Amino acid sequence: MEIGPITRALLRNKTRFILIVLQIAVTLAVVTNAVNMIVEERKQMNKASGFDDDNLLFVRSRNFAPEFDQLEYRIASAESDLRALRGIPGVKAVVNTNFLPWQGGGSSGEVNVIGGDGSPYRTQQYAATPGFVQTLGVKIVSGRDLRDGDVDDDPNSTTGTVIISRDLEKLLFKDKSAVGQQLTNGTGPISVVGVFDPFYNPYGWPIHEYCAIFAGHVSRNGARFLVRVEPGMLKQVAPMIEKRLIATNEGRNVDLQTIPEVKSRYFRQNQIVIAAMGMVIFLIVVVTGLGIVGLTSFAVTERTRQIGTRRALGATKPAIIRYFLMENWIITNSGLLLGIALAYGLNYLLVTNTSGVKLDWRYVVAGVVLLWTQGVVATLAPAMRAAAVSPVIATRTV
Amino acid sequence: MLTYNTQIALRSLRRHPLLAAVIVAGIALGIWASTTFTTVRHMFARDPLPGHSQRLFYVRMDNWDPARPYPTGNGGGGLTQLAAPVPPQITYRDAVELMRSNIPVRQTADYVSSIVVFPDRKVSRPYTSPLRLCFSDFFPMFDVPFQYGRGWDKRADANAEQVVVIDDATNQKLFGGANSVGKHIRLADRDFTIIGVLAPWRPFIRMYDMVGNFVAEPEPFYIPFSHAPKMQLRSFGNSDGWQSVNLATFEQFLASEIDFVQFWVELRTPGDLAAYQRYVDDYVRQQKKSGRFQRPLLNPIRSMRQMMAEYGIVRPQLTAMAVMSILFLAICSMNLTGLLLGKFLARAPEVSVRRALGARRIDIFMQHVIECELVGIAGGVVGMLLSIGTLRFIGKLIADSARFSLDLEMIGAAVFLSLVAGLLAGIYPAWRICTVQPAVQLKG
Repeated sequence: MEIGPITRALLRNKTRFILIVLQIAVTLAVVTNAVNMIVEERKQMNKASGFDDDNLLFVRSRNFAPEFDQLEYRIASAESDLRALRGIPGVKAVVNTNFLPWQGGGSSGEVNVIGGDGSPYRTQQYAATPGFVQTLGVKIVSGRDLRDGDVDDDPNSTTGTVIISRDLEKLLFKDKSAVGQQLTNGTGPISVVGVFDPFYNPYGWPIHEYCAIFAGHVSRNGARFLVRVEPGMLKQVAPMIEKRLIATNEGRNVDLQTIPEVKSRYFRQNQIVIAAMGMVIFLIVVVTGLGIVGLTSFAVTERTRQIGTRRALGATKPAIIRYFLMENWIITNSGLLLGIALAYGLNYLLVTNTSGVKLDWRYVVAGVVLLWTQGVVATLAPAMRAAAVSPVIATRTV
Repeated sequence: MLTYNTQIALRSLRRHPLLAAVIVAGIALGIWASTTFTTVRHMFARDPLPGHSQRLFYVRMDNWDPARPYPTGNGGGGLTQLAAPVPPQITYRDAVELMRSNIPVRQTADYVSSIVVFPDRKVSRPYTSPLRLCFSDFFPMFDVPFQYGRGWDKRADANAEQVVVIDDATNQKLFGGANSVGKHIRLADRDFTIIGVLAPWRPFIRMYDMVGNFVAEPEPFYIPFSHAPKMQLRSFGNSDGWQSVNLATFEQFLASEIDFVQFWVELRTPGDLAAYQRYVDDYVRQQKKSGRFQRPLLNPIRSMRQMMAEYGIVRPQLTAMAVMSILFLAICSMNLTGLLLGKFLARAPEVSVRRALGARRIDIFMQHVIECELVGIAGGVVGMLLSIGTLRFIGKLIADSARFSLDLEMIGAAVFLSLVAGLLAGIYPAWRICTVQPAVQLKG
């Protein structure tokens, strides 16, 4: 092969060599680390809540009429709201609860097992009327669902009835069943009547999978509801909700958010990072590619006479193309070698200074393949032009 | 000489408009990406109150569970690993006690609540709005701008006077933007007198409250903190508790160990900071005697910038994005080196004639560097314009109504980057062309 002459020729024109090598190296470093970041962001976004997110709505009544100061009035109003919401065509299930999935938090407290070792566990805690599992679209896996008889709205009550998430059951009771067991949060016993699954709601503390749902109405500071609609009916149902609720009691305003909106707000920064990194990858590959085309074309123009001479001395067109591809391959590989070092160097900086994640070696391999391909594609056109140089050129003086 | 060189450079660029356009576009792309992402980062990282923030300190006290420290790291209240292992806020009762100190030149306890606003029925239906309870010092401490009237005074703090400060949007909505100072507005069950109207105010980082969503808008209503007990205004922000106690009444809530109040002090000197730290520590030691604060003494008093670091205001991804966008600019710059090299060397015969006619090397060099800088500036301007549009879009995505734009610092940085990019790209080609041997070129 012509490796000897190619390297010697390259060394005579170091500028071009250095420029391409540097570009390829930086490109590899940026592309691999950007892909690494995108994958990391997507991992967070793809975690499923386990709920029927796409068909859920959050409704909040914001009361101003003075009657709402009385607990009995608020509960009666919440009950009539539940009926009104269930009456809307397209609504599948409704629950009165202060749980709002994907808001990036919620409420939590500590519980311990009565008869256990006394150590407290932090868990998400919400109140809900019966209908919680049907509305979220999760399943009772053992025990039973909450019933109307479980609902306890007395603010001075020290006891309660809960259903808990499967992961909380595992945390509190290891392999035993939670059904029939009792918990406490410092006051009276809280009876666990059932276990549901799945549950995932990202929280400020690492308690995303732990949840206890207390049977009760949520009416203080305005009743809140989760509404589950028939698949794809969000758009039709949403506009009817405010009208129906204001019609039952007009001493208030009604706020409405769809869970897909809440979720996309929660992941907005991740989406920005993904979009930005995607764009950087695209631009950097295109710009480097164009750069290689430019520099190789320049090299071809510069060497027109030499190419002519080679052709006149018997080199075939494929030989000329092969020469340029080979030359590019050598440059690319030098760039990639440097690039692998740079990629890990940049990753080290990102990991130590910005709590990034370690670079997956598979992205480096993918990056290497991508840049090999890019090298060939970018060199092909100038190389073809070189092959088209007529041998007659050699006989002319410029 | 500079104008002459500039003229030559311009003429040379005009001779190959397509090539010039490609070069300008290359720089523009690089400047666009790098200014956009460094600005995004800068918006979070920059000092929210330049010249003032170093005097503002945030007070925390460890009243958490004797058995375990407050969990940080994976973020209670968004706190990072840097955060001190104490609750991010303090209790109502401690806030009231701390306010008695006369060491700080200014101080405020504050928290966010929610209230029903009853405007004139002709103007709007009643509605629920966020509301901040704070002390009179809140407004000067955080450089809050007023368009009409002003904040309330210490007497209003002490006597829970029924005065309210409203923001510009509320003033537009309820009073058509007119000077509404002295007018009345009903909040929940009582009438408040409007004492001040804020000028449009949308700090990118809500620096006075970073516990929750720190890119959220400031609240539309502000009333004296001393209304809390009478109006029974519960916290609608983050609140943390570890004790299980009965909180059926509001008095029980205020007397509990629940942390929901934020506490800021303004201290002039390091001596004041030390004195204030002693004051807080002494207060906690005294409380320990009555059985509270059973954890080891830990009452971090940190500056605003330190708190920004603890809260992880600059998401690490933003820094990574900024670094990568600068690397992209470097690639664009290297590409230009290639293009310029070709462009300049093609001009070797012309340059040789100039050299033979007496132009010095330095003249040739300067002429070409200036050409590169012109391209750099043109690309910089185009890139910056693109970047302003992109930033507006990203701003809307990150924080619904935030103004998210280039500030003077960033424009300076963009100009600097484009000049550096132009110079880096052009210096080697310019050197190559000025070292061309005229004799070789002129022969033949």
